[in-house]
Amino acid sequence: MNLPLRQKRSSDYACQYLTHDSPLHRLGAGWKIAATTLLSACAVGVRTPEALTLLVLVTLGYYALARLTLYDLWRDLRLVVWQSALIIAAYLALRGAKGLMPGLRTSVQIMVFYLPGAVFLRTTSTRDVMAGLRRIVPYRLSFLLTTSIRFIPFFLREMDEITTAQRLRGARLLPRQQLDPRNWPDLFHCLLLPLMVRALKTAEAVSRSAEARGFGLHRERTYYAPQPESPPSPMAAGAGGMGDPAGRLTKRRELYDDL
Amino acid sequence: MTAAFCGADAGREDRALAISELGYRYPGTADPALSGISFSVARGECVCITGNSGCGKSTLLMLIKDVLHGGTRSGSIEVSAVSRHFSDLAVAILFQDPESQIVCSTVAEEVAFGPENLCVSPGEIGARIEDALAAVGLAGYASRSVDRLSAGEKQRLALASVLSLNPSLLLLDEPTSQLDAHQKAEFCRLLDRLKRFGYTIILAEHDLAPLAQVVDRYLVLDRGRLVEEAIQAPAGSLSPVPDRARRAVGNAAGPTAVSISGLRLRYPEVGEVLKGIDLQIRQGERIHLIGRNGAGKSTLLRCLSGLERSGSGKLELHGVGAPRPEKLAGKVGVLFQNPVRQLFCETVAEEVSFTLRRMGLSSPEIRQLTARVLDDCNIAHLAERAPLTLSFGEQHRVALAAALAPRPYLLLLDEPFSGLDLPQRTALLETLRLLSEQSGTTVLIASHDELPDRAWPDRKLTLERGILHELAP
Repeated sequence: MNLPLRQKRSSDYACQYLTHDSPLHRLGAGWKIAATTLLSACAVGVRTPEALTLLVLVTLGYYALARLTLYDLWRDLRLVVWQSALIIAAYLALRGAKGLMPGLRTSVQIMVFYLPGAVFLRTTSTRDVMAGLRRIVPYRLSFLLTTSIRFIPFFLREMDEITTAQRLRGARLLPRQQLDPRNWPDLFHCLLLPLMVRALKTAEAVSRSAEARGFGLHRERTYYAPQPESPPSPMAAGAGGMGDPAGRLTKRRELYDDL
Repeated sequence: MTAAFCGADAGREDRALAISELGYRYPGTADPALSGISFSVARGECVCITGNSGCGKSTLLMLIKDVLHGGTRSGSIEVSAVSRHFSDLAVAILFQDPESQIVCSTVAEEVAFGPENLCVSPGEIGARIEDALAAVGLAGYASRSVDRLSAGEKQRLALASVLSLNPSLLLLDEPTSQLDAHQKAEFCRLLDRLKRFGYTIILAEHDLAPLAQVVDRYLVLDRGRLVEEAIQAPAGSLSPVPDRARRAVGNAAGPTAVSISGLRLRYPEVGEVLKGIDLQIRQGERIHLIGRNGAGKSTLLRCLSGLERSGSGKLELHGVGAPRPEKLAGKVGVLFQNPVRQLFCETVAEEVSFTLRRMGLSSPEIRQLTARVLDDCNIAHLAERAPLTLSFGEQHRVALAAALAPRPYLLLLDEPFSGLDLPQRTALLETLRLLSEQSGTTVLIASHDELPDRAWPDRKLTLERGILHELAP
């Protein structure tokens, strides 16, 4: 059997940070947080179909501005699509045919609420988030918030990996299998439990790794920003030049020189 | 009585580290993880702490770095290594699992994280990033997403993140476990240069052969106690199983277990990882797939187990195309690098029998198969223990037993030797050999290293830049 060509694949999992350049990649984290909050708040407040349609268009435009593809959109929305299907089904069950439009509206609202956050995660690096948040909260707290955000995609990917690994062992975790309440224990035992264990162990390892690399040692920290063009190397000024008072950089360069 | 092991000519002023009567017990455990440890390390010395899995190597390094909180500690640790500069860190540690110590999203950010914490100026951080990445062979990777790195590349990144701190005392916990032979040689050159520039290095390692040229002294731990000091690598820790006759390749005309033709897969930002793989594997064959980090081994295994859908090509397992996990339950067993992902039951026996129950076997059959596989994997004594409370090596064997229990026709193992010591590695190969001979299971091991028993595989394949080659046995 020939498998279809999937050259359009542009990301591996939902909300994955992508390193390409786009206007939103260049926009400061603070502005993106503000835009995300505004769009998500509109998604909660919007009531009429016309306003919702407009908001969907604006959100999709925002998504496109980040140079994200339809494949990325599908990756981001995949989980929410299942949830939306359940919501519409629930509305239909409760209200009959009259429930279709409210169910549809609620589902779209959830998607529009969630998408700006996905754009934020896809276009903002850890450093940018930390540097942005640093302006409003202490850096320790900004690290806590940043790692919480940074590890959302990590755990989505872990969830995917654990799910497929457990399906190989016979666990009933497919959405259609989960429609049967008898399979719900599998969701807890085979997916949520290993995921929780992984989360706790990862949290411990990350905090230990940060502590071991001097995090929290000083009241403040610096933020490295890569330049579009390499700045003149301190080495150019020779040992004892600006930024290299003791010629340490030169020594280190010698150390790594022929590796 | 406790033996004290001192750096050869280390006077008090030449010492980088002195440990006396160190003991440690983890919270909630009865037995100490370490007891009566005494030794010292001279400045510029390279000391290797070795011993079987679970002997306390990692615990000792974390205590030296002072990142173990809680628990009961006794004795003293005196670190004399000092920062060379305000913006350097005196002691730095590379942890065992590179995956979970990476906190940032790009390679450059990750290397910059430590110097940023030390308030290094952004200009100097740029130079440190460049140097550290060049030192570990990741020059040109600065803007890459960390998600795009292979396990070996992540380990090198973690090492670069430590080197960018300019430490005087470097603690390395199994730093070569994910590196291929070429990278191990490069790593040893780096250690050698670090030594010559006055760095003091303490590393914990199972695989001592590649390090023989740079290590000055070996300290052997056994169940939390320091039992031996040696200038030469301890006997039995270096040699793989002596060469022996390879078995006559069986089932040369047997049914095809795996058939792959023209398999291609592309990853965003990375490019084509698998470039037209063609492979036929017969039922019962034992295959060793060797390749450098990032060569695409794990990706190929993920395609075989239905976890990854290929871009194009044809893939059949026992005549069934387009494998998906539901179709393969009980027929294909997979052992991942990190066994914790696969464990969830309350007891080892339940864990091992989970797939059997899902296959609808009768209770006596389940009991019989479970007991047999627990014996085969030497974990019968752990049957009633909770899998998540076991050591890494034990969890590894439980995950293997769970994969073996349904007697799958294909078993895929991705870097199964990571974190295992030599006796555990040879025991694993022996278990797999028995499985293959008794049940006709096809076994495929992907690793970046040679197998401890070179006669084990029937065929040896190498994957290089996405292209598969068959090597002469």
